[in-house]
Amino acid sequence: MIQIARALFISRKDVESYYSKPPLVTWGLLFPAVLMLAIYVKNPSTYLTVAPGIIGMTLLFGNTSMAAIVITWEKRSGTLQRLLLAPVSHQTIVLGKVVSAAAYGVATSTVLTLGLVVLLKMPMVHLPVFIVGLLAGAATFALLGMIIAVRVREVFEAMTLLNFFRFPILFISGVFMPLDALPAWARPIAMVSPLTHTVELLRFGVTGQSWFPTPWIPILVLATMLTVSWLLAGTAFRRHANR
Amino acid sequence: MRRYGDLVALDRVDFTVRRGEIFAYLGPNGAGKTTTINILAGLLHRDAGQVSVCGFDIDREGVAVKQRIGVVPEESNLYPELTCRRNLEYLGQLYGLGRSERRRRVDELLETFDLTEKASVRFRALSRGMKRRLTVAASLVHSPEVVFFDEPTSGLDVPSARTLRELIRTINRHGTTVFLTTHNLAEAEDLSDQVLILIKGKVVTEGATDEIGRQAAGAEILSVVFSANVPVDTLLAACPAVMSANITDEKWRFEVADVHQTTMQIVAWAEKSGLKILKISTETPSLEEAFMAILEKNSAGSEVRR
Ligand SMILES: Nc1ncnc2c1ncn2[C@@H]1O[C@H](COP(=O)(O)OP(=O)(O)O)[C@@H](O)[C@H]1O
Ligand SMILES: [Mg+2]
Repeated sequence: MIQIARALFISRKDVESYYSKPPLVTWGLLFPAVLMLAIYVKNPSTYLTVAPGIIGMTLLFGNTSMAAIVITWEKRSGTLQRLLLAPVSHQTIVLGKVVSAAAYGVATSTVLTLGLVVLLKMPMVHLPVFIVGLLAGAATFALLGMIIAVRVREVFEAMTLLNFFRFPILFISGVFMPLDALPAWARPIAMVSPLTHTVELLRFGVTGQSWFPTPWIPILVLATMLTVSWLLAGTAFRRHANR
Repeated sequence: MRRYGDLVALDRVDFTVRRGEIFAYLGPNGAGKTTTINILAGLLHRDAGQVSVCGFDIDREGVAVKQRIGVVPEESNLYPELTCRRNLEYLGQLYGLGRSERRRRVDELLETFDLTEKASVRFRALSRGMKRRLTVAASLVHSPEVVFFDEPTSGLDVPSARTLRELIRTINRHGTTVFLTTHNLAEAEDLSDQVLILIKGKVVTEGATDEIGRQAAGAEILSVVFSANVPVDTLLAACPAVMSANITDEKWRFEVADVHQTTMQIVAWAEKSGLKILKISTETPSLEEAFMAILEKNSAGSEVRR
């Protein structure tokens, strides 16, 4: 309990430190918004098939990038040492950092979603499922970003490493290309990609339909992935944080 | 014990610090001082040995240890983008101080460290001395039982260093145990009750500071450059006050007990031999030299150094 309170203090400080830089927030939104607009202008009738994917993509890029920033920045300036000296466990630090990183993606995706709902009259059939998808996806991506970022010292190194994963999974997770259209070899990869499950939950929330017969499947899969990445992040942190 | 690859950075180092004292951990650069602090503070794992801090095992009860210690690292590691007040406030939150207690403590520390006027200035905008002071203040937010200072005065100008030493004394007078590393013998003598000397990861000597200081005092180094090569035997024969001699490049370094007497002998001898003295100066022996000398004195009465 005490440790959770301390984790939230860590998140709050991170938000103060890193989010006060307005370009960060604008850039996180600008690209997906422009992309969305381009798709809409080209063919207004099909934008709904990609909208959940774009929201998922915003979440993926926003959260992994933010995780890289909140970790490598502090590693470089030596301030991560302050946290390691404080009476907080490694899992507490991971929790604090994940919340602050995830908050960024959640905020940008929410603004994007609100924009779509208001401007393009995007429906929202099942809000609770949408929210679950948003939060579970946000936490998973932030943890995955941390697992990678904690190994390096420079933000750009972390970004390069992250891009090895981020761009490929963008194309096999049902963001731009429907899962049914994927070649057979890509299907199993799509099923282990957390982005697939996040996007399908968002899709169910928006349209009431999804590639999966029930939202419980992606919810359970995401919950499992979240747990595993939580444990992995703890280990990665213990190993690499003080290097 | 701690290894970095093949390098044994700490080798069978064993010591106990008594509650309430100032303990100086003295050694030249690379001796293993920072490594020791990092192990004691739970930042670094050791390869062998036991560590207990404030009665808690560092591995099993790390959080309990961290709650009771403060660390002032070599390089200030506060948040550059936060103000002085927010830095201290944040640490108060991490160490579990309640809101009103936090506010009171932060005000008190800003006052003690003469930073009240800078309370809303960002850390990165402070001068070096102020940065160091705030870093010390930050280590005290939770009123720790032990504070570790890693080379607290290195890189500070003389007045800032003096102020800081005075603050360390004050902190200790209020009952806090102080563990400080330094490569400065005078600083250790000035501040500490107990001193341990570490060279290349090994404990050379340990004891009450006055005692060790007496042993280290004595020898001075006289360095001389002559206009031509000098045969060492004739020189030693002509200048009995020289305790030992060695040469690097052109420069002789003589270990001497009495600077005046030795200088006179060298000058007289150079005059007689038709040599010119191009340079002459005294140097305080490096820590390592001073303590190698102690080591030799301690280890053997039989050794003849001349
Ligand atoms: N991370 C590291 N990797 C490899 N060697 C290291 C590392 N940190 C310190 N060392 C080596 O260990 C020895 C002790 O270092 P350190 O504890 O920093 O000394 P001090 O603080 O007394 O100057 C030095 O020889 C140093 O080069
Ligand atoms: Mg050091």
